[in-house]
Amino acid sequence: MRQPTRTLWSLGIAVAIVVAASLASSVRADANLPRVVMTAEGIGPRQIEQRTGETVTHDYAQAWHDIAESLNSNRTDLLGEYLTGDCRKQLSQRIADQKRAGIRTEFVDNGHDVKAVFYSLDGGIMQLEDRAKLDTQVFDGQRTIYTGNSTHFYLVLMTPGADRWLIRSLQEVPEKAF
Amino acid sequence: MNRKTLSFGVLLTALSTYLWAQEPVLNAPGTVSAGQSVKLAAQGHGSATFYLVGPNRVVKRKISLGEEIEIAAEDLKIAGKYQAIACNGGNCGNTQFNVVASQPAQLIFFLHPSRVPVSSGNAVNATALVLDREKNMVLSPAKVNFKIDLPDGSSSTRTVPATRGIASFAMDSRSRQGKVQVTASIDDVSEPRVIQQVAAEACGLRMTASPAGRFVTFQTDPIRDCGGNPLPDGTIVSFTKTDSTGRSTVDSPIKKDRAVARFEVSGSAKVSVACGVVVGNELSLGGAQ
Repeated sequence: MRQPTRTLWSLGIAVAIVVAASLASSVRADANLPRVVMTAEGIGPRQIEQRTGETVTHDYAQAWHDIAESLNSNRTDLLGEYLTGDCRKQLSQRIADQKRAGIRTEFVDNGHDVKAVFYSLDGGIMQLEDRAKLDTQVFDGQRTIYTGNSTHFYLVLMTPGADRWLIRSLQEVPEKAF
Repeated sequence: MNRKTLSFGVLLTALSTYLWAQEPVLNAPGTVSAGQSVKLAAQGHGSATFYLVGPNRVVKRKISLGEEIEIAAEDLKIAGKYQAIACNGGNCGNTQFNVVASQPAQLIFFLHPSRVPVSSGNAVNATALVLDREKNMVLSPAKVNFKIDLPDGSSSTRTVPATRGIASFAMDSRSRQGKVQVTASIDDVSEPRVIQQVAAEACGLRMTASPAGRFVTFQTDPIRDCGGNPLPDGTIVSFTKTDSTGRSTVDSPIKKDRAVARFEVSGSAKVSVACGVVVGNELSLGGAQ
């Protein structure tokens, strides 16, 4: 019997991959990763294969875990291997600036509702819309200078690497852009 | 010190304390174009520490409240949400604004695959990313023109609206082999890419035999695809002989449109020819050919 999720993928209906639910084996190994729920309703011109969807979901969650760690500790080496190109360069620059200014940013990541909206025919580019619920605190030394909890909207470009999907562009956009 | 002076001093201290306790108020325009400077209004009194936290930059400096804060274009190159914070003592006020991409100034253009068989449906796909000069994705409506130059010298144009900064389309490869150039352009920016259309599978593969003593030479007719495009030199053609001793195969590359193989034949034998997934004719030897 086919699994329900597989059926949904093949029908091209809204697909939800819930890291915390459907990938139970991954959850134990990746308990520290933020929750990422991805749907692929209306994606084109190419459909996402189930395995690709699972990999993208995991790798996107891992990237956000790494971003939060590195911005909190001001360590570029924690940016990990799920970010590349300008995205990595920009975050590295921000971390260097934070370090110089003596500030740091702490995220409490309350999860990402991700919608895959574009997947090129050759499988080389995937575009995602992410509604990220983040509690953010900015510290200057020990002092909190900013606290905010809101939904952030990101337009994301991911490309496949040798064994993982990489975030190449992570652009925060106004809500109306979605 | 008389009472009046004392009262004035107390009032001044209270006022100073009140003003010091007020959190600074910042006002920013809702949206700023990437790479342009901006001025924020900072209400309050006295000095404060100003912070700008953006996607790629963090700025910290002293400001005087009540005066405008100028943020340099250099610090606003990357699109995204920027948090402006001003702290006066223990009190901080903040505002945020969006930096959005400016005008299209760059295209990242992918054309796949680099080699494609002729006459294949939707085999060529083009994807263009529309970026501003700072490499931000341009989300405002934009149309990308794709000019397609074919091997026979003809050309056509296709206009594709970009959605979320991406314009993409697929097209059939044409029937003639050769170079196809596709040039993506928007405003005065253009990016050309070239792919090679190559012959498809062989069509009507056929060979003839020329006996010479114990040996027979097998030679194909010129090998072309169904559109008449010659298959490239080096393409492998397989000749297979089956006789009483078993089966043997010779792989021979195409040279000048033809492939040739030579077998020693004693008794009756059958020889077939194939190229890729295409099977050609079969010849029977040692009896009627």
